Amino acid sequence: MTNSSSSASPTPATSSSPSGSDRLGLTLKLLGWAILGLLPLYAWTVSTAPIDSVQGMMQKILYVHPPLAYGAYLGFVATAIAGGLFLWQGREVHDQLAIAGAEVGTLFCTLMLITGPIWARGAWGPGNWWVWDARLTLTLLLWFVYLAYMLLRSFTEGDERAARFSSIYGILGVVLIPLNYWIIDLVGGAMHPDNLEFEEESSSLGVGMGLPFFVGNLTLFFVFIYLLVLRWRVGMLRTEAERAEFDSRRI
Amino acid sequence: MNVAWALLWKDLATEWRSRDRIVAMTVFSFLIIVVFQFAWPNMEPEQIVQLAPGILWVTYVFAAVIGLGRTFSTELENDAMTALALAPGNRGWIFLGKATATWVLITAVQAMAGLVFALFFRVDLTIGLSGTATIVALANVAICSVGTLLSAMSVRSRFREVLLPVLLIPTLIPVLAAAVTGTTATVAGEALALTTLQPLIVIGGIYFILCFLLFDFVLDE
Amino acid sequence: MGPVRLRGTSIEKRYGRVAALRGIDFEIAPGEAVALLGANGAGKSSLLKILAGLSKPSHGQFGAFVDGGTPPLDRSSLRAAVGYVGHATLLYGELSARENLDFAARLYGQRANQERIDQVLEDFALANVADRRADTFSRGMAQRLAIARAVIHRPGLLLLDEPFTGLDELSAERLSEQLGRLRSEERDAEANGGTPSLVVVTHDPRRATELADRAILLHHGIIRATPSKQHAEEFTADALRSMLGEFAREASHAA
Repeated sequence: MTNSSSSASPTPATSSSPSGSDRLGLTLKLLGWAILGLLPLYAWTVSTAPIDSVQGMMQKILYVHPPLAYGAYLGFVATAIAGGLFLWQGREVHDQLAIAGAEVGTLFCTLMLITGPIWARGAWGPGNWWVWDARLTLTLLLWFVYLAYMLLRSFTEGDERAARFSSIYGILGVVLIPLNYWIIDLVGGAMHPDNLEFEEESSSLGVGMGLPFFVGNLTLFFVFIYLLVLRWRVGMLRTEAERAEFDSRRI
Repeated sequence: MNVAWALLWKDLATEWRSRDRIVAMTVFSFLIIVVFQFAWPNMEPEQIVQLAPGILWVTYVFAAVIGLGRTFSTELENDAMTALALAPGNRGWIFLGKATATWVLITAVQAMAGLVFALFFRVDLTIGLSGTATIVALANVAICSVGTLLSAMSVRSRFREVLLPVLLIPTLIPVLAAAVTGTTATVAGEALALTTLQPLIVIGGIYFILCFLLFDFVLDE
Repeated sequence: MGPVRLRGTSIEKRYGRVAALRGIDFEIAPGEAVALLGANGAGKSSLLKILAGLSKPSHGQFGAFVDGGTPPLDRSSLRAAVGYVGHATLLYGELSARENLDFAARLYGQRANQERIDQVLEDFALANVADRRADTFSRGMAQRLAIARAVIHRPGLLLLDEPFTGLDELSAERLSEQLGRLRSEERDAEANGGTPSLVVVTHDPRRATELADRAILLHHGIIRATPSKQHAEEFTADALRSMLGEFAREASHAA
């Protein structure tokens, strides 16, 4: 798609003040360096962590599965807050953050649902690929909310309407998280008798597991923020490019 | 408030004259119950008591989804939806009127379906009837609140038949869990305690208030 | 409700890839009749939705004023002042004409006033079918009821969105007459404090000249021309048509 031959300059998206995507780009660089440092540390601490006598290597999923929760849950929280801001102010930048939160969040949520069964099998033996433990159940329910959110965006006609409707659903969905937590706590035991409660990981960590667990949490948290900002920036770049292209088009 | 009454009357009047929603929901509920009956043909009475709440609520939820899908069907013809969007004042009242009308319809259908269920599964109706009825009425507040909001969002989409269930059912999980637990207790003859109703009251309250406030944004163009 | 004054400055309506309005300025005086013309995608519907209080501009200042007051109406109050007629009738088929009008009145926060409803039914020659279901009406009758519905609450601003679509020549003539009469009805003018303002969206230049004193020609989201009756040569159906044709040709050259 080329602009008309005469020099139609785009509207001040590239003026002296940094655009939204420029600011995000800077944040990305900083985060990128942090992650570059953390990743080898992560790999090293996990590989040198003690091997559990009962579960063997599979136990090391402990350093991956719970840390993914940051991405899975914070992703949706970001989507909901961005959605709320969009409803209030109507600015596209907020909607782009909402989309970023949803996409990256879905990724982390899916990974949780994949690593969860791996861990369950390791922790509770053969035949236990799926357990109705509280966290896994909660994550599964969240995953369906993500799916619904994505479908709502795809199936709603009109970009602005899609943004508005998803913002509404984002707010509804984020309320579901504590609601489900509460309900599972309240009645979960009655529904799934082997329901395992929300455990505190730190209490069940053995010797030598604390460090890799901490590093794992830190690393995956940063990876989540990085991917979130990255996706947000891509969205902003696209918006800015479309706007510039449209404005420069002659009638 | 006047607006809410107007919508309530309008919905019930049009439903009375065309009966399309109530017939669809009722027939569908009866069919599901029959299917369940054939899925478990030779149940012992103790088994029935155990499974009854679950079967009942699955039936209720799916019938509700069918009914909610048609909340705005009269508005679709002739673009009456725009007429609602053009109404001045707090649009939450429109939401209230619509949600209440749906509540009336769904509760009526569930009552009939409950009778059929008791008939086919040979359940003793005298045990915990008022308790169960209270639970149903309360759960419906939550279901109709979130259902009306989501129905308004999905009605303009080409994929509305698929979209509404996908959006709605995840939000109904907590309602379902609380309702089934409560119904299990009432069907077993326990007295209805406030602690049993508490989750439903909380969820119903949260959903209603949230959807009342958010409805304004749905009607904008 | 007195006639509404509308004013917009640098109005934009854009989202993502779509920019329906790209900076337009307009002023519609109380009681004035304006036609909005333009090809599909010119931005007419988007502008009309903003005028109706159905959507907010993404940039710019928009204000609706009534009775010479200065603080502009908020969107909810603006909607109360608007009577809208689209190409769909906005009616409920299962309800009778009377019930449709009653419902509409209530939506606008007015207690059901049977006298007013009876009067309106008579004005629109629907008195003898008042209690028949709206889905039994002919197209012409339904159209009349749709207009009745739009004016039941005495709006200060009439917005018509392509009301002639799908009508045959005779019905379109009748409708045009009716709309013309609507605005000059003395009785309503007294009750309202003046003739309501009118904005009609149409792509038929002939109807535009019949109904309006002025036209706003939109193209790709900006105002290209504003011919008015004061300069009679540029306010004929042919003149309007050729202007619109010119814009269309420019577009196909630039593409």
